[in-house]
Amino acid sequence: MADRLTLTRRSPAVAPFARRSVGLALRARRPLGLAPLAWTAMALYAAFLIYPIVQGLFNSFTNASPLALSSAFVGLDNYVDLFTDRRLLSSLGFTLLVTVFVTVAANAIGLALALLLNRSTTNYRVMKTLIFIPQVLSGVIVAFIWRSILTQNGLLNSVLQNLGLIDAPVSWIGTPGLAALAVCVVVSWVTIAFATVVYTASLQSVPAELYEAARMDGAGVWSRFRNVTLPMIAPGTTISVVLCLITTFKLYDVIAVLTGGGPAESTKSTAFYLITVAFTDNRFGYGSAIAMLLLVLTAAAAFGLTALLRRREVNL
Amino acid sequence: MRRSRSGGLVGRGSHLVVAWLVTIAFVFPIYVALSSAFKSQEQILENPLSLPAPFTLTNVITALQRPDQLVQTGLLNSIVVTSLTVGLLIPLASALSLYISERRPRIQAILLAVFAFGLMAPPQVVLQPIVGLLHTIGLANTYPGLILSNIGGGYMSFAVFVYVGFLRTIPKETIEAARVDGASDLRIWWTIVLPLVRPATATVAIFLGLWVWNDFLNPLFILGPLQGQTITTGIYVSLGTYSTDYGQLFGIMFLAAIVPLVGYLVSQREFIHGLMSGASK
Repeated sequence: MADRLTLTRRSPAVAPFARRSVGLALRARRPLGLAPLAWTAMALYAAFLIYPIVQGLFNSFTNASPLALSSAFVGLDNYVDLFTDRRLLSSLGFTLLVTVFVTVAANAIGLALALLLNRSTTNYRVMKTLIFIPQVLSGVIVAFIWRSILTQNGLLNSVLQNLGLIDAPVSWIGTPGLAALAVCVVVSWVTIAFATVVYTASLQSVPAELYEAARMDGAGVWSRFRNVTLPMIAPGTTISVVLCLITTFKLYDVIAVLTGGGPAESTKSTAFYLITVAFTDNRFGYGSAIAMLLLVLTAAAAFGLTALLRRREVNL
Repeated sequence: MRRSRSGGLVGRGSHLVVAWLVTIAFVFPIYVALSSAFKSQEQILENPLSLPAPFTLTNVITALQRPDQLVQTGLLNSIVVTSLTVGLLIPLASALSLYISERRPRIQAILLAVFAFGLMAPPQVVLQPIVGLLHTIGLANTYPGLILSNIGGGYMSFAVFVYVGFLRTIPKETIEAARVDGASDLRIWWTIVLPLVRPATATVAIFLGLWVWNDFLNPLFILGPLQGQTITTGIYVSLGTYSTDYGQLFGIMFLAAIVPLVGYLVSQREFIHGLMSGASK
C-alpha cells in the first residue's frame, strides 16, 4: 500500500479502488476540473441555507426590525418571551396535534391501502396511479378543493343533510375544533397518497419465497404480516414516517388556503405563526427566535425518530 | 401475483371490487374538482356529485380570457422558474455529488451532514434572512432572486442525496478506467458519470420539477405581490378576489393542475421508481 500512496495525480490508475483506509490516495487525485462547479454549488448552498440559519441565530439575540434603522443586542430576551407567548404555545400544541394525527393516519392507512393494492394487474396499477394524485397537486389546489367540499353550502353538508344525519349545515372550517380536524384530514389525505406508494414499493421488495416459507411453517395471515411483512418493509416505514413528520412541520399552503390559521388562530401551526411574526408583525428578532426553536424541534424530531426507527429496523 | 394471496376467482373478484371502492372514495375529491371545472356555478352548488352534464367549457374559456392574463402569465412564469431551477440544479448538484463522493469518508460524512440540514429545515426558518440577503444584493422581488434561492436551498440537498446515493452503486472501476485513459475530471463527469446516473437525474428532475412548480411560500414572499405570479401563487390571489365564483376558480385550477398531472401520468414509472429507490435506501 505504501508505494501507492506516494503516487501523484499523474498516475491515478494505480490509486486503489479505495476502501476507507486510503484517504491520502483519494486526496492525491482531487478532480480539479470539477471543483468550480462543485464549489459554485456549495457557495449557493452556503448563501441560501447556511447563512440564513446563522443570520437567524444572530438576529434572535437582537430586536431587529425593518422599521427600525438599527437594532440592539437584547441577550436572551426573545427566548424568554417564547415561554410567555400564548399564541406560540398554542401553535406548538396545534403542530403537535397535526403531526401525530397525520403521521399515524398516513402510515396506518397508507400501509393498509398498499396491502390492498399490492397486485400487479392493470386494474391495480391504475388504482395506484390514481391514489398518488393528491401528492401531485399543489397544496393550494388541494386545500381549495377541500374548502369547497367543507364550506357551509358545500358537498359534505348537503350530503349529510340529504341523508338526514344533520339538521343544519355544520361550519366545518369555521369552528375551532372542527377546523383543526379539517386540517388534519386534508394533510393526511396528501400524505396517505405518498405513504401508499412508499409502502407499495416496499412490499414489492419482499421476496415471495418468504411468504411461502412462513406459510409452510403454518403461519397465519396475521403472523405472516407481523413476522414477514413488517420487518421487511421497516426501511420504507422509516422513510415514510420521517417524511410525513417533516412535511407537517413545514406545512404552510394548506393552512393558508383552508383556514388562514383561523378561526380564532386555532389552526396556526408554529411555521405559520413564524411567518406572521416575521412578515406581518415585522418582528425579525423575535421571529428569529421562533425560527431557531422550530429548527431545533424539527431536527430533534427528525433525527430522533430516524435513530429510533433505524434501531427498530434491526430489532424487528 | 403471488399464488398464496390470490384465492379463488370469487375471492379475487370481491377483492377487486373492494379495492376499487376504496380507491374511488379516496380520489373522490379529485372527481368533484374535475367535474366542477366543466359545470356551471348553479350545477356546482345544486348537484355537486353529478357528472358535468350539460358539459360546459365556459369556466376554462373565461379563465383564459381574463384581462389580467392570470393563467397565461402564471403558467409562463412557472415554466421559466421551474425549468431554470431544475436545469441549473442538475449539473451543479451532480458535479457536487461526484466531488463529495470522491472525498475521504470523514469529509464525506461531514458534508452530507451539512446537506441533511437542508433536507429537514422548514423553509419558513430561513425565509426572512433570505429576503434580507436578496435585498442586500439587489435581487429582492426578482425572478433571478427566486431561482437562486431555489437552487441554494433545500432542493439542492435533495438532489445531492439522490446523486450521492446513486453514485455509490456505480463501480469505482468505471471512473478509474476513464482516468487511466487520461480523461479530465470535467470530461469524466460529462461523458461517463452523467449518462450513468441518468435514473438519478430523472428522479431529481421529476421531483424537483413538481415541488418547484407547486411551491407556494418562496414565490409568495420572494417575488412579492407586485412582481407577477407563478401559477400557484396566482391561484391563491384569485381565491381572494373570486372567493364565491366556484366555476371560475375550478376553471383556473384545472388549467393550473393539468401540467403537473400530465407530467405525472407520462413519467409515472420514473416517479414510482424514484420513490422506490428512495425508500429502499
